[in-house]
Amino acid sequence: MTSRRQMLKSALLGGGAGVVAATALGSLGPEAAFASAKAQEVEPGAPDPNFAEGRIRSIKDNTLLVLGSNMVFHNIRVVDGTSLWKLGPIPFDQAKPGDGLYARGVRMPDGVLAAEAVWLNIVNIKGHIKNITSDKLHLDHNGQEVLCHVVPGKSVAIHSESPPSSDLSMLRVSQHVQILGAWRPDTNEVDIATVFSPH
Amino acid sequence: MARSQPTDPPIDLLAAVQGEVSWFCCGTAWGPCSTTGKGACGTCNSGSLQHAWPNTSDACWAITHPDTCGFNLSRRTCGFQHKITGLCSGSSVVTAIADCGPQTDLFCGEKSCCGATCAGDRIIDLTPAAYSKIASLSTGLRPCEISTP
Repeated sequence: MTSRRQMLKSALLGGGAGVVAATALGSLGPEAAFASAKAQEVEPGAPDPNFAEGRIRSIKDNTLLVLGSNMVFHNIRVVDGTSLWKLGPIPFDQAKPGDGLYARGVRMPDGVLAAEAVWLNIVNIKGHIKNITSDKLHLDHNGQEVLCHVVPGKSVAIHSESPPSSDLSMLRVSQHVQILGAWRPDTNEVDIATVFSPH
Repeated sequence: MARSQPTDPPIDLLAAVQGEVSWFCCGTAWGPCSTTGKGACGTCNSGSLQHAWPNTSDACWAITHPDTCGFNLSRRTCGFQHKITGLCSGSSVVTAIADCGPQTDLFCGEKSCCGATCAGDRIIDLTPAAYSKIASLSTGLRPCEISTP
């Protein structure tokens, strides 16, 4: 059976527009996309060449030019089968210069990363709730305040094993939480996707 | 009262242990991660296959206190390798210790589930590069099994 990675690779090596038909790859469920029985090729502790992080400098056609935080440039190719996330699944045209990102895919011989998944502005931070208003949480994250916005229709809370709930009223000042969300570039503000609470 | 590390055999020397796995950023980074630094081992980078472990030193244990949640995890230091298997995807990654964490005691009793598969308490944090090999970063928290490779 042809793996998703093999299809990504062959599609890009095949030339043309380098676009993979999403129907050929099937749907990208969050777990299915990461299930792989392939042996690990990268030494534990070492940088993973099939992963990239940084901020988008420019976008040309279906390629993101990304400057890594370590000042290394990445060309990240987005294809029809690539999943993009920015507070939720988004189309490619919502990726903007200035966005931070993490991307996982397949590094091609020419250095391009053929992306399986791109997470834009995603942050996953822990801290104490300093204050709560109707539409904001003030989070103390390592001594820095991060203003976390509740986004109607998007933000949910997960209290331990309970299912996600859009009702965030059970959160309390001083409790410790983990907030998964989308950073607003060049600010100390985050739009909340999920608040993980142990209680 | 000061807590000390229990002397009973650590459970993760006897068998694989199940718990929760999340992800954290380290090294040079953007956004709220930009001030994180390179972790307790001085080598941590978001793009490397690494993880944080709650018992890398006495000072680390004093912060994380997994014993509060009933975990007597063994002392393992920078560079030690663990195999982490996502219980939702079934996929695994082998990573090396690069930081102290997570702060297990602050989330005691928490459970993470996918369907009927659950695991409780935070006992490991992966870098984004490592976590994204076993789950989408957008999941944020997952049940996992930790063993030695």
